[in-house]
Amino acid sequence: MSRSRARLVRRLVHTAGLLFFGVWTILPLYWIVVTSIKPNLLIYREASFFPSQVTGDHFAFVLTRTPFLHYIQNSVAVTLVTTALAMIIGTLAAYAIVRLSFVGRPWVARAVVVTYLVPGSLLFIPMFQVIYSLGLIDNIVGLMVTYLTFTVPFATWMMIGYFRNVPAELEDAALIDGCSRVQALARIMVPIALPALAVVALFAFTLSWNEFLYALVFIGSDSQKTLTLGLIGLVRGDTFPWGPMMAASLMGTLPPTLVYLVSQRWVVSGLAAGSVKG
Amino acid sequence: MAVRVRGSLARAKEVPRRRPTIIGLRRVLGRDWATAWLFLAPCLVVLVGLIAYPFVSAILLSFQAKLVGSPGVWVGFQNYQELFTGRDLSSQFWQSVRVTAFFTLAADICKLVLGMAMALLLNEQFRGRTFLRALFFLPWAVPSLIVGLTWKWMYDGSAVGLLNMLVLRLGLTHDLIQWLASYDLALWAVVVAVVWASTPFWAMMFLAGLQAIPGELYEAAEIDGADVFGRFRHITLPGLANVMIITALLSTIWTATSINFVYVLTNGGPAGATMTFPMLAYQVGVAGAQRLGMGAAISLVFFPFFLVLIYILTRRMLAGER
Repeated sequence: MSRSRARLVRRLVHTAGLLFFGVWTILPLYWIVVTSIKPNLLIYREASFFPSQVTGDHFAFVLTRTPFLHYIQNSVAVTLVTTALAMIIGTLAAYAIVRLSFVGRPWVARAVVVTYLVPGSLLFIPMFQVIYSLGLIDNIVGLMVTYLTFTVPFATWMMIGYFRNVPAELEDAALIDGCSRVQALARIMVPIALPALAVVALFAFTLSWNEFLYALVFIGSDSQKTLTLGLIGLVRGDTFPWGPMMAASLMGTLPPTLVYLVSQRWVVSGLAAGSVKG
Repeated sequence: MAVRVRGSLARAKEVPRRRPTIIGLRRVLGRDWATAWLFLAPCLVVLVGLIAYPFVSAILLSFQAKLVGSPGVWVGFQNYQELFTGRDLSSQFWQSVRVTAFFTLAADICKLVLGMAMALLLNEQFRGRTFLRALFFLPWAVPSLIVGLTWKWMYDGSAVGLLNMLVLRLGLTHDLIQWLASYDLALWAVVVAVVWASTPFWAMMFLAGLQAIPGELYEAAEIDGADVFGRFRHITLPGLANVMIITALLSTIWTATSINFVYVLTNGGPAGATMTFPMLAYQVGVAGAQRLGMGAAISLVFFPFFLVLIYILTRRMLAGER
């Protein structure tokens, strides 16, 4: 009797908890979606939780009257270049750290972890100078370069963790058969490490897509703005045009969200492997 | 350069005269030194050129009076002096120390509690678990700037703001609440937005940790008569200890140095109530006066604190390595 009551209480608490987190998670997301399709009258005058009228005006405005598509294009370019570079650089470095024997190896591994942990917002002022002296201020190439500061240490660290678990014998056989290190890496290690590379790509993509501070500090003109910076640019003076802003926010959230939903199984295992060791 | 060395290594057999030096180098630098440094080169360019060099130049910059685009003047410790004891800036600075500490601590505690609850709920077997896990973790993928914008709109101080709409309709208050414009509420409002965005990260880490705890431990405890709380205290908490420490340290570093939420929600106001130190560094160094040297000094003052966290984290993260 008391045992089944305890089970009932447990189920109630569990359901209530799930309900709480459901509402907590959905409420802001719901508000983005609902604001983006409400006519202005329903946003600013007769505010309501459920819209009685629906419009596509805000999306049309964002797509045709603002450089939104151009911002997206810039974000895609920066994200793809940074992600691809981080994957290549990280894989090469991780392979060297895990498989090659050279003096200073533990120090390089330590340097990778430390730089992974140093937060970018401590460095944006001197970084401004570096980018300035490279002549890359107000240029998305400057962002491609600076985004490497958080994607490369992360990618290297992830790949180190993965390569460590690949048995050395697999590669040794190929080396004895006369493969060079580059061939061994490309033909043996990389194919095995594809799941890890997917995780690296996913995280590098998300981090770069969502980055804001460097873009804010380095970029000024519309033609070079990425999505996050462009969103802020929609604000006119002190006025926030919430309809268009939420429409743009919704569209800007879709790429990382879709990528996440497709690969969410890897997200969790990736996080676990990347930062929780032992 | 390094490529040529590799080539000569391969030809070492045919050129016996060069052999002693090559072998000597290998003895000093390690068996695969040439290949290794070649593979590491791009990574090191990033680490040194884009992280170590800016860091050193930040230190140098903090001893200069420098405006954007003009050469700096060496002023010794003057920036730091003004920061600690100066007339106007020092009160702002000490305020930012208090705000950052409170902000980080409050956010961390909320994330710990909510993240743990979320992970424990998702660790049970029930129908729709995969779907709810995907849903609960969704905020992780939303750009933090968009999270900030959305909450700003929800916090709107007029009657059309979602939260005001809810509290008015539920009859909790008759007056509109100025969530972001009131000195006492603003920082909490920012904390809630941050917690919404990053609770999923904690929950993911905890969930991964929970799944690593062997189920037999729970079965044994149940046979021994331990209740839910006993099992949580004696099995779950110790099993998660390492994950909790790592997550808390990572989250502290990221939260204390994040600027996106504050920038969008309050821009540091009202009256400095939400002026965390990165926000102050941004305003002093880049946005307003463009005093790069002072901006760098503000960030650097906090670095020793982060250095301690980074040191502990590095040791823990490298514990499994040789």
